[in-house]
Amino acid sequence: MTPRTPTQGSTREEPLLEVENLRTSFPTDRGDVTAVDGISFGVDTGEIFGIVGESGSGKSVTALSILGLAADGEVEADAIRFRGEELSTREMSAVRGGEISMIFQDPMSSLNPVMTVGEQIAEVVRHHGEVGESTGILSELRRKYVTGTSDSSRSWQRAVELLDTVGIPDPEQRANEYPHQLSGGMKQRVMIAQALAGDPSLIIADEPTTALDVTIEAQILNELFELRDEFGVSIVLITHDLAVVRETCDRVAVMYAGELMETARTETLFDEPTHPYTKGLLRSIPRVDDDREWLNAIDGTVPDPFNRPSGCPFRDRCDAAFELCSEPLDRYDATGTDHEVRCHLQHDAVDIDDGEPVVEGSLHSRLDGTETEPLDERSGVVEPGGERQ
Amino acid sequence: MGLKRYVAKRVAHAAVVIYIVATVVFFAVRAIPGDPARVLLGGDANADAIAALREDMGLNQPLYVQYLRWLGDLVRGDFGQSVFNDQPVLDMLLGVAEPTASIAALGMVIAILIALPAGIVSSVKRYQWEDYVATAVSFVGISMPGFWIGIVLLLVFSARLGLVPAFGYVSISEGIVPWFKHIILPAIAVGLPYGGILMRMTRSSMMDVLNEDYMRTARAKGLSNRLVLFKHGLQNALIPIITIAGILLGVLLGGVVAVEVVFGIQGLGRLLIASIERRDFPVIQGAVIIISFIFVAMNLLVDILYTSINPRIKYGGGE
Repeated sequence: MTPRTPTQGSTREEPLLEVENLRTSFPTDRGDVTAVDGISFGVDTGEIFGIVGESGSGKSVTALSILGLAADGEVEADAIRFRGEELSTREMSAVRGGEISMIFQDPMSSLNPVMTVGEQIAEVVRHHGEVGESTGILSELRRKYVTGTSDSSRSWQRAVELLDTVGIPDPEQRANEYPHQLSGGMKQRVMIAQALAGDPSLIIADEPTTALDVTIEAQILNELFELRDEFGVSIVLITHDLAVVRETCDRVAVMYAGELMETARTETLFDEPTHPYTKGLLRSIPRVDDDREWLNAIDGTVPDPFNRPSGCPFRDRCDAAFELCSEPLDRYDATGTDHEVRCHLQHDAVDIDDGEPVVEGSLHSRLDGTETEPLDERSGVVEPGGERQ
Repeated sequence: MGLKRYVAKRVAHAAVVIYIVATVVFFAVRAIPGDPARVLLGGDANADAIAALREDMGLNQPLYVQYLRWLGDLVRGDFGQSVFNDQPVLDMLLGVAEPTASIAALGMVIAILIALPAGIVSSVKRYQWEDYVATAVSFVGISMPGFWIGIVLLLVFSARLGLVPAFGYVSISEGIVPWFKHIILPAIAVGLPYGGILMRMTRSSMMDVLNEDYMRTARAKGLSNRLVLFKHGLQNALIPIITIAGILLGVLLGGVVAVEVVFGIQGLGRLLIASIERRDFPVIQGAVIIISFIFVAMNLLVDILYTSINPRIKYGGGE
């Protein structure tokens, strides 16, 4: 694994969460499907890190794999480090819900229909906080089926407090209600309160606003912003919505067919997209001042997961595809700080001549596995339009 | 709508159901070939005696008069007298209700005690040996009729091993142990088929629940597997199971009738069969009404339980 090159102006500390070469596959009748194929990224303290991609690109599976929740999936990783320490499966399950918590996509189905929302939050408080209430299975089952959770218990009071924090009016009463008695937006606030209940330093939010209408979406995103500002939590925001990314994220990773194609600071990604896929995505955002009657879509479809092309998964749809694209991908530094691209156009030995990529001599030595460090400083034009610093 | 109003409404529904059942039975028993007076007096009785008895029993009146008179009595709580031994029908029925109720209740307990744990294990360990064993056992239960299971149990535990008495019934008022010994085999015989179906229901219901998003949420909270299963899963899984359990009560009661015959227990079932043989109309009608009453009452209970286990259901719907 090539180490991340510290780039100029960056004073990055050790990331809060660091994922190295995560791979997740699901066994099926037709063979294994690789949903996540060797992705690496880091999330800094207090940062909102976006993972953006089409449906089925492996965003959610990435989140579930990190938390050890990918049900039938086989998850492998060179390392998943939290606060610099590698977490075993067992350690991850202890951290889950506490230090690292998750907000799910669909609040309608992700809350338990037969439990009051107060109890669903309070149980997290009991399990991860220090409120001195028993969390043994018998006490929990007694609470659930016999006595109910006492309104005067500290965990319940904390739950009410959290409902207030996430902006639910009349929290004492709401805590006693069931999910079906709440609106979609309120349910998602409950999910957020639940994610906060273990005092997390990292929240993974998997499309937290997809199931909500636009006004509620804005409120929920604001809520997430405030969490970061007030509590300094880091957030991994998984979304397919580039507008949401632009408004909320500090850094963003673009995912395609289970691989991270480009990772950059949000401004950099939107101002100087480098990967052809990212460019295509940005072009496909409809603009208000545009009176054309068609949308710019990327031609073609996502590759068949059972029959993935070798090399770059995007090459069949890519305008800039050239001979190198069937070779295994590497990570390359691109313009700006913290900007990584997985595209052979960024290779040292590739030059652009009249808009056509030209491979120069030194390439073949690299493909033999000898020479060349892809991440070293390069010179010369990389691509028309891509500015070099 | 409050619980009281809901129950009142359901009781009114139940009364209508029982009235319909009673009416159907009234006409159905009269459609069975065979004259009670002739059956009572024996095949070689002379025609005059039969005619006199028919007159005496009110069988010569038009059907609608018989029906209205019977209905009027029924509303006043009078089930009439047995044409066979002149005893009040209600006393006869209450006299045999205890063994039937005992067998049905214990059978149900046995069924639930087997079905719930086996179904849960089966769903959690699906396609592993635990699942295959539980599934095989449940299919054996489903496939064998209760009376046949009863005969096999009799042969093994009474005839061969002599552990429990083979015949008859002892009231619970004469001691729990003898009572239990007399009804345990019949209860197993009716409980196994019922439990087998219930186990399959539990398995599939639990498997659905295990795939729900809220179960993933529960795991994401860092709760232990057992807590996720029993605190977050069980109640959700029980919702459809309870519905089916109520509907299948009819199967269970039907099983009790046959099993009573096998074990020579004077219960509601045997009384009913004997009464049909001797065309004892009032007793047949009374027994069927009682059985349908039990069935309706149990289903009402199930529905009340259902509303308390599923907060999404309100009593009787709209506000």
